[in-house]
Amino acid sequence: MRFEGKTAIVTGGSRGIGRACVARLAAEGAKVALIYHSNQEAAEALVAELASAPGEVRALQADVRDFQRAHEIVDSLFEEWECINVLINSAGIVHDGLLGAMTQDQWRDVVETNLGGTFNYCHAVTQPMMMMRRGSIVNLSSTAAEFASRGQVNYAASKGGINGLTRSLAKELAPRNVRVNAIAPGMIETDMSQVVRGIAGDQIKKIIPLKRIGRPEEIAAAAAFLGSDDAAYLTGQVLRVDGGLSLGGY
Amino acid sequence: MPTKKEVFEKIQVALVDALGVDDEDVTLEATLVGDLGAESIDFLDIVFRLEKGFDIKIPRGELFPEDILTDSKYVQEGKVTEAGLDELRKRMPFANLDQFAQNPVVQDFGNLLTVADMCRFVESKVEVTD
Repeated sequence: MRFEGKTAIVTGGSRGIGRACVARLAAEGAKVALIYHSNQEAAEALVAELASAPGEVRALQADVRDFQRAHEIVDSLFEEWECINVLINSAGIVHDGLLGAMTQDQWRDVVETNLGGTFNYCHAVTQPMMMMRRGSIVNLSSTAAEFASRGQVNYAASKGGINGLTRSLAKELAPRNVRVNAIAPGMIETDMSQVVRGIAGDQIKKIIPLKRIGRPEEIAAAAAFLGSDDAAYLTGQVLRVDGGLSLGGY
Repeated sequence: MPTKKEVFEKIQVALVDALGVDDEDVTLEATLVGDLGAESIDFLDIVFRLEKGFDIKIPRGELFPEDILTDSKYVQEGKVTEAGLDELRKRMPFANLDQFAQNPVVQDFGNLLTVADMCRFVESKVEVTD
């Protein structure tokens, strides 16, 4: 169990990829704090489901856009746990639309949640991880950051920003043995992607070399790898986990 | 209430831990950048350790004024302007800027701050006895 005796924070941990990350880390022995925004029922259900996991799971409510709250949560966990080994920034939303018709709220909500939330939690864990001289931050990006789709200007901008933040922060924190990486999932079977998957139908599978939609557990496996000592020499990377979608070509 | 000696010793520990230098390298006269090799990430680490060690809050830029040194209002052609020097004096009453002010090249600023300056800074934040 790679995370026995280790601690982790997972934002967006009540659903989708974040949920799978919480389950994976708990199965591998970690003490996990999952941060959820509004779905308390789902968060509590997950905590109950994982009650017999080797690790421990707790749910904490927060809006990831709240900088102060991020610091309160991290400071409190650091005081209790005395270390923060892994941060997985998985909280994210979509609110698609063509730019010409996009409202300021659509733009702001997506960018402030996805990129702003990532900034807030990275900022909060920097001090404890630097002082411990170890830690791993895993940011959830998307293939949308590099491979354009119509109607996702806000989402693509937020994920592109996460890629840039990841690389720059990796350079900053490397001297303190804190690694920072991102995962760019392709089309994954989550609530968040169901609208796009519904519109695209089976056509989407034709352009994915592995001919199927990915599962949240497969992203969680990549996150667990990046968070673990198995990736001890890996930092500043954006790992595409997309069934080959980004290969393009014929 | 710590003594001045205790303040120095705690700062010495913080610098040894943050910079990986030896105890004997950390003298009152030692400059953080020139003698002890500190870089920007080290400054952040030092601030964190001082906050924890002395239970004080150090607003960003109060000890290491990167915001002034990277602001085009205060830096022109690689040198700190008069307005910039005024800001530095206000921000850093614990440091002696007279020599720097004679030729205020931004890149030389790092050689300004000494361990003694840091001691005076912390002493301004906590009550000390002699």
